[in-house]
Amino acid sequence: MSGTGRAVVHVGNLVKDFRVGFGMRRRRVLSDVSFSAFEGEIFGFVGPNGAGKTTTLKILMGLIRPTSGSASILGRNVAESEFRDQIGFLPENPYFYPFLTAREILDFYARLSGVETRRRAERVAELLAMVHLDYAADMRLKTFSKGMLQRVGVAQALIHDPSVVFLDEPMSGLDPIGRREIRELILALRAAGKTVFMSTHILSDVELICDRVAIIVKGAIRRQGRTLELVGDGTSSAQIVVSALSADAADAIEAGFSVSLRGSGDRVEICTEPKDVEEILGIVLRSGGRVIEVKRLSQSLEDVFMEAVRAAEGDR
Amino acid sequence: MKSLIRILALAANTFREAIRNKLLYTLLGFSIVMIGAGVLLATLSYVEVDEILQDMGMAAIRLFSSGIAIFVGVGLIHNEVERRTIFTILSKPVSRGEFLVGKWAGLTFTVWLQLVLMAAAFALVSWLAGAPLAAPHALAIALIGFELMVLVALATFFSSFSTPMLSSFFTFGLWLIGHLSRDLYLLGQQSDQASVSRLAGALYAVLPDFEIFNKSLEAVHGLPIHGFEIGFAMLYAVGYSGFILVLAAAVFSRRDLK
Repeated sequence: MSGTGRAVVHVGNLVKDFRVGFGMRRRRVLSDVSFSAFEGEIFGFVGPNGAGKTTTLKILMGLIRPTSGSASILGRNVAESEFRDQIGFLPENPYFYPFLTAREILDFYARLSGVETRRRAERVAELLAMVHLDYAADMRLKTFSKGMLQRVGVAQALIHDPSVVFLDEPMSGLDPIGRREIRELILALRAAGKTVFMSTHILSDVELICDRVAIIVKGAIRRQGRTLELVGDGTSSAQIVVSALSADAADAIEAGFSVSLRGSGDRVEICTEPKDVEEILGIVLRSGGRVIEVKRLSQSLEDVFMEAVRAAEGDR
Repeated sequence: MKSLIRILALAANTFREAIRNKLLYTLLGFSIVMIGAGVLLATLSYVEVDEILQDMGMAAIRLFSSGIAIFVGVGLIHNEVERRTIFTILSKPVSRGEFLVGKWAGLTFTVWLQLVLMAAAFALVSWLAGAPLAAPHALAIALIGFELMVLVALATFFSSFSTPMLSSFFTFGLWLIGHLSRDLYLLGQQSDQASVSRLAGALYAVLPDFEIFNKSLEAVHGLPIHGFEIGFAMLYAVGYSGFILVLAAAVFSRRDLK
C-alpha cells in the first residue's frame, strides 16, 4: 500500500534561510531536506518544536519560497496555484473569520475550490455532518471552542474532495474522542485512496496510523522510512519470562550469553539478544524450569525519535 | 471565468465580514452624526447659508468616508496574514493577485455602501435645513466613490507589505498629496528650469490626482459637471487602481507569509 505508488509529494534538497534582525542576518531553518510521500499512504512528518515542520509545510503550500531546492505536489511546482483544487490543507491552530457561520465559511471555501454550484450546499452539509458540527452549522465562528474550530479546519481541507491532504497538527485542541475520530477519518481517507501528509508531535498517533515517517530535527531529516521498519530497526532484544529457574541454570545462562536476569522464584525475566532465545529456552526447559512468556522488545517510535534528537544534538 | 468566480467569492466574503463588524457601524454612526452636526452648524451663518451648508456636508462626507477607507484598508491584508486566515485561502487554487483584488473589491463595496448611507443622511439633513440636494450633488458624491476606490487600492498596496500604522501614514500622506498634486504640477510648469518642470511632470504621472474626483464646488454652486469629466474620472479610477493593484500583487507575490 505504501511506498509503492508514485511520489505525489516530493521535496528535494530544500534549503530555507530567513533574514532576521536589523542586520538582516541569515538564519538557516531548513538544510538539505529531501523526502517523498507516495500515493495512497499516510506520511508522518514529525519533529520537535522549531525543527522546521511548519516551514516545510508552508513551502509546500506556496506560502513561503525556498532559498534553494525543489518542492512539488502531484508533479506540479508548489509555486503554482491552479492545481490546488487537488489538495487540502489544515494549518496548525486554524483561525477563521469570526463573524461568519460554519456553513458560510465552508461555502466560501467550496467556492474558492471550484465546487459546482449545484453540489455546494449538499457538500457543505456532508462535511458538517462528517466533523459532527451539523448542530452548530449556523452559529458564528467567534462562539466556537478550539476543538470546534479544528473540526471546521478539517472540513474546509476536505470540502473539495482533494486527492492529497496536508494536516498540520490535526489532533491539536481535540479531546480523546475527537482525536480518535480524526484518526479514523485519516484512515478512511487512506482507504478512499487519498494521500495524507500529517505533521504532528503526537508520536503514538504516528505509530498507530502512519505508513511512513520522516523525522526532522534542527532543519534536517534525521531518519525516514516505513514506520514498521524504523521501529523494527531498533529491535535489539528479547525477553523470556520463566519460573522455577534453578541456580545452576541461571549461572549457565549468565555465563554463556549476553543477558540480564531480574526477579526470582515464580517470575524471572531474562533479557537477551533475539539470536540466543532458542538456546536459552533449551537450558531453562532441561533444568526443569517453566516458560511463561517470550516476547520481542521493539523500540517505540519515541525511542527512535529521541535517538534522532540526541544525534542532532551531537552534531552541533 | 474561474478566476472571476474566486475574486467574487473573496469580495462577497470581505463585504459580509465587514458589514457584520460592529466597529464599522460605530465609525459610520459617528461620521453621520458629524456630517449632520456640521451641516446644522452651517445654518448659523448669515450669508449663503445653503452653499456653506452643502459645502460643509460634501467636505465631511469626503473626509469621513476617506477616513474609514484608510482605517479599514490598512489592516486589510496585514490582518489576514497576522491572524493566519490567509493560509487556508491560499492553499486553495487562489493566486495572491486574485486574493488582493478580491479583498480590494470587497472593501470598495463596503465603503461605497457607507458612502450611500452618509449621502442619505446628508440629503435628509439638507432637506430639513431647507436646502435640498439635486442631481449635481449626487454626481459629486458618486465621484467621491471613485476616489474611495483608488484610496482603498493604495491602502491595500501598503497593507500587503507593511504594518497598519505605517500603512495609514503612507496612505493618508498620499491622500493629502493627491489633493495637491495637480497644484504642484502646475507650479512646476511655471518654473524657468526645465528639470523642475520635468520632475513635476514625472511626479504628477506617478502620484494620484484626487482633485479629478472633486466636483463639490460645481455641485454646490450650480456649475456644470460635464459628462466627459465623469467619464475621465471613472477611467482614471479604474486605471490607477489597476496599476496600484498590479504593483501590490508583484510585491505581495514575493513575500514570505511566515
